Parts: sequence; C-alpha cells; structure tokens
Amino acid sequence: MANTIRLYLTCIRNTLEAAMCLQNFPCQEVERHNKPEVELNTSPGLIMNPVLICRNEAEKCLIETSINSIRISMKVKQADELENILAKKFLRFLSMRAEAFQVLRRKPVQGYDISFLITNYHCEEMHKHKLIDFIVQFMEDIDKEISELKLSVNTRGRLVATEFLKQFI
Amino acid sequence: MAAVAVHQFAECITCHAWSPDQSMVAFCPNNSEVHIYKLFGEKWEKMHVLSKHDQIVCGIDWSLKSNKLVTVSHDRNSYVWSQEGTEWVPTLVILRLNRAALCVQWSPKENKFAVGSGAKSICICYYEQENNWWVSKLIRKRHESSVTNVAWHPDNILLATTSTDGKCRVFSTYIKGVDSKESESSSSDLKFGEQIAQLDLSVTWAFGVRWSPSGSILAYAGHNSMIHFIDDVKSNPSAQSIPLRDLPLRDLLFLSDRVVVGVGFDCNPMIFTADDTGLWSFTKFLDQRKAAPSSSRGSQLSEAFGKLYGTSKQVPSNDTVEPSKTRGGAHENCITCIVPLWKRGNTTLCRFSTSGLDGKVVIWELDIPK
Repeated sequence: MANTIRLYLTCIRNTLEAAMCLQNFPCQEVERHNKPEVELNTSPGLIMNPVLICRNEAEKCLIETSINSIRISMKVKQADELENILAKKFLRFLSMRAEAFQVLRRKPVQGYDISFLITNYHCEEMHKHKLIDFIVQFMEDIDKEISELKLSVNTRGRLVATEFLKQFI
Repeated sequence: MAAVAVHQFAECITCHAWSPDQSMVAFCPNNSEVHIYKLFGEKWEKMHVLSKHDQIVCGIDWSLKSNKLVTVSHDRNSYVWSQEGTEWVPTLVILRLNRAALCVQWSPKENKFAVGSGAKSICICYYEQENNWWVSKLIRKRHESSVTNVAWHPDNILLATTSTDGKCRVFSTYIKGVDSKESESSSSDLKFGEQIAQLDLSVTWAFGVRWSPSGSILAYAGHNSMIHFIDDVKSNPSAQSIPLRDLPLRDLLFLSDRVVVGVGFDCNPMIFTADDTGLWSFTKFLDQRKAAPSSSRGSQLSEAFGKLYGTSKQVPSNDTVEPSKTRGGAHENCITCIVPLWKRGNTTLCRFSTSGLDGKVVIWELDIPK
C-alpha cells in the first residue's frame, strides 16, 4: 500500500526534474510581452507533449511543459462523498490564497482538483530541486490532510450525536 | 582542472562578457541594466551602470580589438557602447525588429555583429562610415521560430543560427563594401542571406551553436539532452549526435578543435572530446560534486545516493519522501552563458568563465592534452 505511493511520487519527481528546464522567453506573438507559453497555448512549437501519470483511475497527475513555464495538475483521491466535499473545500481554500504560495494556480485545470503554474521567474528566484520537493511533499500531505479532516469530521459527528441523544436516555 | 574563482555579483545573471584585458566584467543582473565591475586587487568594484534599455538585457558582447560593447534587449533595441574617457557612450542601432532580440555576437573581424530575434529573423549590423551610424540588414526568410543563438565562422562571412524550430542553419552574410571578396569562395555563396545549409538533427529546440576554431566543425545542443557535431558543413556534412545522461545544455564553447565544453541545466560544465578518428564522446563533468548526505539518513543510504546520482531508485525501507540531493558544486542554478578567456600569447584556450541564474560568475581552468 505504501509502496505504490512511493513509485508514483518518484515517477512524478523524475518527470519534473526533466520537465522543469525553463528559460526566459519573450512572447513571439505580441511584442514586448513575456507570458507563460503553457497558458497562452498559441505556438504549438513551444509547448512539449503533456505527460499524464496515473496511479489509478482516481489519482493522476498531468504535467504540461513549455519553454518558459510548466503546469502541474493533480487529481486527488476521493473515496466517498465526504472525501469529495472535503477535498473540494480544502483545495478551494488553498487556491483562493494562491498569492501566498506563488506557484499555485488560482483555478485548477478542467478535470483536475488543483494546479500549479511554475514559470522561469520562479526557477530564477528559487532552487529547482526545492520547488520539486515542495510539489511532491504537497501531494503527499494532501492525502494525509484529507484523511485527518475526514477523521475529525467523523469524530465530531459522533461526539455531537452522543451529546444530543443523551437527553433522550 | 576546476573552478579557479567564484564571484557572486547579483541574485541572477542573464549574460556576461569580459573586457579585452580581462580586468572588467560586464553583466546583466536580470534587469534592464548592464553593470560593469572592475577588479582592484582582490575586490570587485562597480564601475559603471549602463541603463538605456527598457527590458531585460539578454545579450552582451565585448569586442576584443576595438573595445566596444554591444547589448541587445527584449525591448527590440540594441546599443553599441564605446568608452570615451571614464564614461560609456551609447549609440542606438536601428535593428528594425518587431519582437525581442535574443542574442548577439561580434564577428571575428569586429566590423559586423549579428543579432538573433523572436521575430524569426537575424539582423546583421555593420558600421557605415559616411553616416556615422550602424546599419542593419535583416535575414527574414527561412526561420520558422525564434532564433536563439548565433555563431560566426572564423571567415567572418558564414553565420550559424539555432532556433526554437529545432533546426540549425548556416547563412552567408557577405556585405559589399564591408567584406572583401575571397578568391576561393564561389560567387553563388556570397549573396547576402543565402542559406548554405539547414540541419534537422534535433527534434526539439536548439541552443548554443558554435564553430570550432578552425571553422571545420559545427556543434549545437538540442533540448532533448543531445549534442550534435557536424563536420564539414559546406560540402560534405557528416553528423554525430551524442545523448547526454542528464539535463539539456544551454551553451557551448570550443576550447580547441577536439575539446568542447557544454553548460546547462545540470549546473556543471561537461567536457566532450574527439579522438583521433573524429569520434566525439562525453568525457567528464568539470566540477567535483560532493554527494552530501540527506539530513535524517544513515551513512549507507547516503552512499547509495552518491552512487545513484541522477537515478532515483526506489528504496522500499523508508516511509517518507526522499528529499532531492543537495548540490555541492560551484553553480547552484542553471548555467546560461559561457565566455572564453584568452591568455595573451596563447593559441589554445584553457580558461573560460560561466555565469548562471544563481548570480555567480565562475572562472574555470582546464589542462588540455595536446
């Protein structure tokens, strides 16, 4: 059980190491502009083939890279309805505060739960291996967080129900 | 055999160039200025700040004989700076570009310079004595995407370019009045803008094109972690492509006809040598990397990390995610620029400097076997 997540994360880490080779590249379409090419999507020659890494049907990671930016989208494991709601709310909470994270994208890509956008400017300011560590750590922590949240929701529900039903004893 | 000097100048350096006597270095600290530092004994002092550009300065070249600096920027402009007294005086060069300029290089005779741009064209600029300004001639056709690097052939006429369409092209830049007609060259080659060759070896973006000192070998790097060597481009080209073990290269330098240094995303210069038959191969990394142990691991695991540099094999015993290996080399971030440092009187090159996104300029020295 623990092994499959190791493989999944190692695969993502290796792919990111290869894909995160970004450089400053001024826009070819508009003069004086410098925009992340993976978001613009205007020049197919500047965008590489996207890589999809699937752990199973529920969990996958899409890595789209271009000459000056990389977009990493993740679909988090959601076993039941409760996890669905928790994941959605938690990730929405994070995405709304995307400025604090710098590399987070405000809206996830269609079909995924959360997306990161890393540009060459991030690679210049921060160490590449630290960025990759952050992304992989994030993926690991998300699963733990959602399990913890689910556990606390269930515990609280049980406590509230016990207290409420005491009056009928 | 390693880094001779490491200087931290800024947070991030885009490109750099050395003065003819190697006492001054000009670089762009990832903004629209060019800083010139001079070495006084042991300390570097900021001598000049050239701030004429509006956007990031992406190319600087310092001509060795005429002591002129040429800078190009993403704002589509280029300036030629000449030192008058203690000040640097800029001369605007009208490049007639409608997109950013990406790279610049003085020709070997320093009467022309070439600029590659995002407008899918190259500008060849030369000085017109009568009007006292720099004129540019554009090569507009052929390129399908941005021109990332340009390299002059030692004969001052042929120019090799690499582009993000993956191709390396060689053009003739003969300009009447500036270039003297060579008797050996055939007249068909001499037309300005004539494409001599197009090399399709790389399937991804191509960077870092260079000619060997004799002009017989052309080398360039592809973003798919390959380096291509082409012998005898004009008449009978024969190519060799070497895949690299790790990340792609950004720039190359020929130290001699048989030794090439490549720098790139590995943060470590790589040496390639050709044997007597002309077969190129990867020799070694220049920087001695210390395999630093990760924080909470035992010594056995850290040994394994050291051995498995570049390949993260899955170790089933540990439960938490392994952090990335810490670097121990001179550069901490991608190396973007490599510049030769010729020693006075020497014909072979054994010193060069690299600058990278970590803001360091590192000088390397290498003993090349004859």
